[in-house]
Amino acid sequence: MIKESYKNFDEYELVKSSLEGDKNAFGEIVIRYQRMVARTVKGMLGDSVFSEDVGQEVFIKLYYSLSDFRGEAKLSTYIQRIAVNLTLNEIKRRKRFLSIFSQKGNADMHEFEVADQDYEGRRDAREIVDKALMKLEPKFRVILTMRMLQGYSTKETAEILDLPLGTVLSRLSRAQEQLREILDKLT
Amino acid sequence: MKPVDIKELMITSLSEDSNSEDIMKKLEDAGVEYSFGENFRDKVLLRIFSATVTVNREVEFVKSMNSIFYRIALTGVAAIVILLISIFLTQGSLSFNSVLGLSNSYDESIVCLLTGN
Repeated sequence: MIKESYKNFDEYELVKSSLEGDKNAFGEIVIRYQRMVARTVKGMLGDSVFSEDVGQEVFIKLYYSLSDFRGEAKLSTYIQRIAVNLTLNEIKRRKRFLSIFSQKGNADMHEFEVADQDYEGRRDAREIVDKALMKLEPKFRVILTMRMLQGYSTKETAEILDLPLGTVLSRLSRAQEQLREILDKLT
Repeated sequence: MKPVDIKELMITSLSEDSNSEDIMKKLEDAGVEYSFGENFRDKVLLRIFSATVTVNREVEFVKSMNSIFYRIALTGVAAIVILLISIFLTQGSLSFNSVLGLSNSYDESIVCLLTGN
């Protein structure tokens, strides 16, 4: 009953109601954007329980920073920025952790994550995408996630990542080279 | 969709002029979908609002501690004032010796008091 009434709300009305303390309005924001956040977080971190924690953190951070949202950009862009920043922080945190505790020293996170998976087994589309993403450098991984999993244009990607368009274009080309090498090794 | 096609789509998505929205839809149709577990919304709301309750409780605790310390401090100040007044009334001054209760004692009597001789 309550949920139905929020379906007609636009994002600004939802933000306004949330700021007034309406818990259900914020719940509607979570419902609307959780898949988008899942694509970013799980695409960049892999499918694990930690990804869901980061996903929750994204919405918690959003809740406490809603008063900073001025409506200049779309709410989805604002949420996407939070998701990207928190995910990149998590990648850095894991790398630090691995560099301290792993015998390999600066071993990459993806090697740790995919080590126990049987790559010779089922190779469905999702598996290929996940393997390739985890092998990419984080700065390229985020570009591929924005383009391939979120469907953003180059301009939108630059806006979300707060990078100059030229930087995004050069990263696209370098990411493409790296991805080609990775995919060749996967066959 | 064959693995070769998936890989081609991935590489194409990084071309500047590619239609990334179209690629995203094709991949979704091929099963490349991401979502969080069940009751994700409820978990988020629980974390936000239980945290708010905890913060409120902490604030209330600090406030009540402040008022307790304030009362203790006032009681202490009142006790010190009463003590000083009583010293002044009994000893006739507020000198160091009066405060220590030594104003009417001679050095010899202090020695007697301490040694018992």
